[in-house]
Amino acid sequence: MAKLRVLYETGEPERVIEFDPAQAPFQHDGQPGSILDVMLGHGVELEHACGGNCACTTCHVIVKRGMEHLSENSETEDDLLDKAPGLTPTSRLGCQAVIASDDGEEIVVLVPRYTINQQV
Amino acid sequence: MNNLTTRSEPRATPTSSSHPRPAYEATIERIFAHTADTRSFFLRFPPGHSLAFKPGQFISLLLPVAGETLIRPYSIASSPEEGSLLEICLNLVPDGPGSHYLFARTVGETLRFTGPWGTFVCEQLPPAEGVFIADGTGIAPIRPMIRCALATEPRFPVRLLYSASQESELLYRQEWEAHARACPWFVFTPLLRHPADGRAGLRGSLLVEYVERCYVAEDSDRSRHFYICGVGQQVTELRDLLRCGGYQRRAVQY
Repeated sequence: MAKLRVLYETGEPERVIEFDPAQAPFQHDGQPGSILDVMLGHGVELEHACGGNCACTTCHVIVKRGMEHLSENSETEDDLLDKAPGLTPTSRLGCQAVIASDDGEEIVVLVPRYTINQQV
Repeated sequence: MNNLTTRSEPRATPTSSSHPRPAYEATIERIFAHTADTRSFFLRFPPGHSLAFKPGQFISLLLPVAGETLIRPYSIASSPEEGSLLEICLNLVPDGPGSHYLFARTVGETLRFTGPWGTFVCEQLPPAEGVFIADGTGIAPIRPMIRCALATEPRFPVRLLYSASQESELLYRQEWEAHARACPWFVFTPLLRHPADGRAGLRGSLLVEYVERCYVAEDSDRSRHFYICGVGQQVTELRDLLRCGGYQRRAVQY
């Protein structure tokens, strides 16, 4: 089993999800087994305006722990993150970062307060 | 109904797990069939409302399919100046529940959506040649971008490379040709994989081969900016070709 802890910069209560990565996908949006897939599949909302197709940055999360248990960034993901507000060295798109670990180590992500995509 | 004219400031908007973005509603005013499996939907907002967006952005339709809400992003093919009327353009995707739902809609029905979204935008071209590359319905976000680029001073060369399988799939062709006649600094280059005149059809790599020849192999100017929109692997192939060919990373947007 793996464990995903979700923190919110807005101060909302954190959520903890325990799941079996081998059971992915948990729903239909984002890469199977991605942070987005795990969250949505366990009733925890995460914005994903493009439907989890790596075409926006609304599912931007900041990984606080467990970066080494996530899949590698693609160039497309990096290009999108380049335009995300509050970009950090451990920023990822929830729809692309697939959780590979099933050793029980906790992965912690922070959902930032802002996204830039609804911009005019 | 939310007030669509009081769009968000500041530019960044708060996220919340428990307070989802507001959804808007618009009525299907017209449906235009470009081809048997490509349609434009013209969405009209209620009186007094419009959606402020940047050329290149998209909306996310919230489609009630099989007891759940599907999120499907569609680029806005109209210009911000068109006010309360929004155009989206899409293909019927085999086994695609979202497009099948939309192709079953009729004039007068309403659609719900969020937006505008996306950072693939072109508000002002940099002081260099702008090359827009589109394939099929990938022309949708490019269309308002080019309109904006052609209306902006100072003028720099603008080129559209537009590939499609056959003539009928070159969407808005008359518009591109009219732009080319009116704006000498705009060049429209259609690329057909299966020309109607019987010549041997060129393969799907036509666009990649053309770009490689014209902008990498046979030319040393690396000041251009590229805006690419299409379907599938071709987009990343073009990105890699241009970046590896010496263009700046941020000069190649897609």
